[in-house]
Amino acid sequence: MPVSDIQIFLVLPVVVLPLISFLFIFAGKKLNTENLALFHISVSFLLSLYLFSAIWDKQTFHIQWSWFSVGGTEFKAGILLNNLSVLMMVLVSGIATLVHVYSRVYMKGDPNIHKYWAYLGLFCFSMLSLVISDSLLLIYLFWELVGFSSYLLIGFWYTRDSAARASKKAFIMNRIGDLGFLTGIMIIYQQFHTLDLTLLFAENGFMQTSFIQNAMWVSDTSGMPEIWLTIAGAVFFLGAMAKSAQFPLHTWLPDAMEGPTSVSSLIHAATMVAAGVFLIARIYPVFNPQVLNMMVITGTITAFMAATIALTQNDIKRILAYSTISQLGFMIMALGIGAYSESIFHLSTHAFFKCLLFLAAGAVIHEMHHHRDKLGLDFDFQDIRRMGGLRKRMPLACISMCIASAALIGLPLTSGFLSKDAMLIKTFEWASEQVGILKIVPYLMLLSSALTAFYISRLIFKVFFAKPDVISSPVISAAKDAPKQMTYVLLILAFLSTFLPFSLNPLSYEVSWLWSGFRSVESTQAGFYHQLIPVIVNAISMLLIILAYLMYVNGKYSRLASGEGLLFRVSSGEWYLNQFYSFTFVKSVEKLAELSWRIDRYVIDSIVLSTAAVVRNISDFSRWTDKNIVDGAVNGSGAMVSKAGSIFRMLQSGRLQHYLLSILLILLTFLILTFFI
Amino acid sequence: MSSEQIIFYFFAAMVLISALLVVSIHNLVRSIFLFFVTLFSLAALYVFAFADFVAITQVVIYVGGVLVLMLFAFMLSNKELLSKINPVKGIIRVNHIVAILVCTLFLFILLNVIIKADFESLSWIKTADQINGKDNTVHQIGIQTMTRYLLPFEVLSVLLLMALIGAAHLARKEKKV
Amino acid sequence: MIPLSHFLFISACLFCIGLYAVLTKRNAIQVLIGIEFMINAAVLNFVAFGRFDANGGGGQMFALFAIVLAAAGVAVALAIILNVYKHFKTIDPVKTDTLKD
Repeated sequence: MPVSDIQIFLVLPVVVLPLISFLFIFAGKKLNTENLALFHISVSFLLSLYLFSAIWDKQTFHIQWSWFSVGGTEFKAGILLNNLSVLMMVLVSGIATLVHVYSRVYMKGDPNIHKYWAYLGLFCFSMLSLVISDSLLLIYLFWELVGFSSYLLIGFWYTRDSAARASKKAFIMNRIGDLGFLTGIMIIYQQFHTLDLTLLFAENGFMQTSFIQNAMWVSDTSGMPEIWLTIAGAVFFLGAMAKSAQFPLHTWLPDAMEGPTSVSSLIHAATMVAAGVFLIARIYPVFNPQVLNMMVITGTITAFMAATIALTQNDIKRILAYSTISQLGFMIMALGIGAYSESIFHLSTHAFFKCLLFLAAGAVIHEMHHHRDKLGLDFDFQDIRRMGGLRKRMPLACISMCIASAALIGLPLTSGFLSKDAMLIKTFEWASEQVGILKIVPYLMLLSSALTAFYISRLIFKVFFAKPDVISSPVISAAKDAPKQMTYVLLILAFLSTFLPFSLNPLSYEVSWLWSGFRSVESTQAGFYHQLIPVIVNAISMLLIILAYLMYVNGKYSRLASGEGLLFRVSSGEWYLNQFYSFTFVKSVEKLAELSWRIDRYVIDSIVLSTAAVVRNISDFSRWTDKNIVDGAVNGSGAMVSKAGSIFRMLQSGRLQHYLLSILLILLTFLILTFFI
Repeated sequence: MSSEQIIFYFFAAMVLISALLVVSIHNLVRSIFLFFVTLFSLAALYVFAFADFVAITQVVIYVGGVLVLMLFAFMLSNKELLSKINPVKGIIRVNHIVAILVCTLFLFILLNVIIKADFESLSWIKTADQINGKDNTVHQIGIQTMTRYLLPFEVLSVLLLMALIGAAHLARKEKKV
Repeated sequence: MIPLSHFLFISACLFCIGLYAVLTKRNAIQVLIGIEFMINAAVLNFVAFGRFDANGGGGQMFALFAIVLAAAGVAVALAIILNVYKHFKTIDPVKTDTLKD
């Protein structure tokens, strides 16, 4: 299908419709906001589906307009649609649509519901725009907007103190990354004098044609020391780290769970956190081997750390949040080893099953919350220890959540099996060519994957299979499956978490259309790992699932699960990173502030006071001078003038005799002139 | 110096001195009576110019009419005017100095013009037939009034009537409206 | 025989004295006296020149007319002065510096 002008009018609505919804809701009446928002996002979704079918694997769509010019440089704004963008577009709008449907029930009765829909519209607008933008500057713009709308949504229940603090934390953490992004943009602009993605990163773009020579990074337009290439990659990666919650900037994500669950599902599982991965994928050629290794290390640490923390958390949403961080670590690591297509593949499968996990958890929380308030009990309705036995009460939620968990673990017949195993296989292949410490990476990833199996089965068993807690048993027995709309959404997502949408062969990712859509080089290495890895992974996972069943359902090995021991405490304390930050950064800032207070109090204040005293004396003196000398001079001259004025006034008073006198004087002058000169 | 000249210069001096006193004296009543002296002396000077009828008229009209009128007007207005003349001395002095300067200058110019013009040597003055002391000027004036100057004379009478009526109108007591 | 110029000198002096009175006096009546001086100076000039017109008598005729006119003028002027006094309660020309209303 050739590029036609019609497509512009198809692309723009995809982006603009959510914005229109946002504006309408804010400007218009606060009625029927849910239908308005749902309508806009569904149309947007349908359009992006059409665009996906038109563009995927067929062509690249690129259109540009002149935006503004600074000096002689013209900045262009435009739309760039390739496989990556259309995939993200469908992902974002699709999940957003499902979340919209879900939220109609979930958020029902909230007094600020119209704001919720407006913020969702804004978020979708910025996310979709981010995905289709064709220049780094535009991406940066929408990147910030995404951060802002996520801030609004996390702090949606702003009356809760913890929510307000969490939104601030997320915002500030993201600022660190944004600074990196901005620095990267500056370096790129300095080097290439353009921010156009196509010009920079396409085949034979500026990035590819630039080269390293004599420790100089040389391009067509300018050159700079080699180190700047590494720095550019590192700072871009820093931006992605903050957005995708990578260690050590991940701490905002668990706290962001203070927002509504549907929001967590949309933003913090499926779309926004993927923006970091998306950015890396978009500007992939920038990264040189050093930065890629950095990515691998960061990703691995993140994946492992988050998995261990998730083992011991009790808040259902927090577990899922750490699970998300862990999976994002997988993706970043995969990007680092060059498994570009595997990473994107995992990004899309993860988007669905993580969204499902969140929404199912939301359904559970909804019920718990609802009945708790009804029965007037007091306990934490998000605590998995207070749940249990919900399998019979909420069968559909249980089934869908089990499917999602299976996908997360990577059991066969699920989408996760395809993508996760693809990544692990690639990791082993890559590690076989590495030396030194990087050899550990695949084993750590394997361990993380195993831990994933354990913590998610812990969650499932605790929530659905274990015996109900004494305190909350009346609630459990009152609970029932979520309303229809929510359940439909869960079932759709459950279907999307299976292998069917992605591949016809449930056991081989290589036939997956999604994976091959990004594959740049034909992979011929159907090697030894290819059969081995899935088997090992699944074996370990099965073992751990059984272990978890024994521990949490049958109550064996209770000593292990009781929370004793150093490792357990480290894990449940979330590696004490928050405390570490608080100690190193917050405390030192406080110390600094106190120091500056002291300096201010004793040094600056005394300087100011003495200056003030000097000034006061000077002003006293000048007042005296003013009064006696200046005023005297002024008054004296004034008096002189008025005296002179009154003297002249005597002559020119406007009186009859004076007029006569003047006439005579003139006459005299005339006569004198006539007779004597 | 003939007696004629002595008398003339005596009266001339009288005119000037009394006139100066009129303008310099503060008391208004005195200055009005000195004005009478001036006019009387002036009438004497007219006689020396062979204008005896004019001199008589001067005495009759001025001394008999104008002066009495002035006294009445003065007496009809406030008595304060008698004493109150110079409230602010400084201003008056400055004004006076300027006025004196101007007048002196003017006088100087006038005298200069008179000297320069040298009327005695003008041809029409030399050739003119002068009035001598034996002519009857009253006779002459009577003829001229009734012939050559008849129209001005009549106009003047009308004018006098108008002045009479106008003055009476102006001076009458205003009706309270 | 008195020379013509002597009349003229006296008349000039009288004129200037009148002028001085007009310029400086702060009483309307005295100003009027100054004006009379000036008129009389003019009349003196008429009379002095009239000596040289024996047949026409123009100088003396004009002197007479001037005297009569001056008298009429004085009458009217005094009436005005009275009115001014009624209105302003003063006849100081310095203070009577406004027109009606």
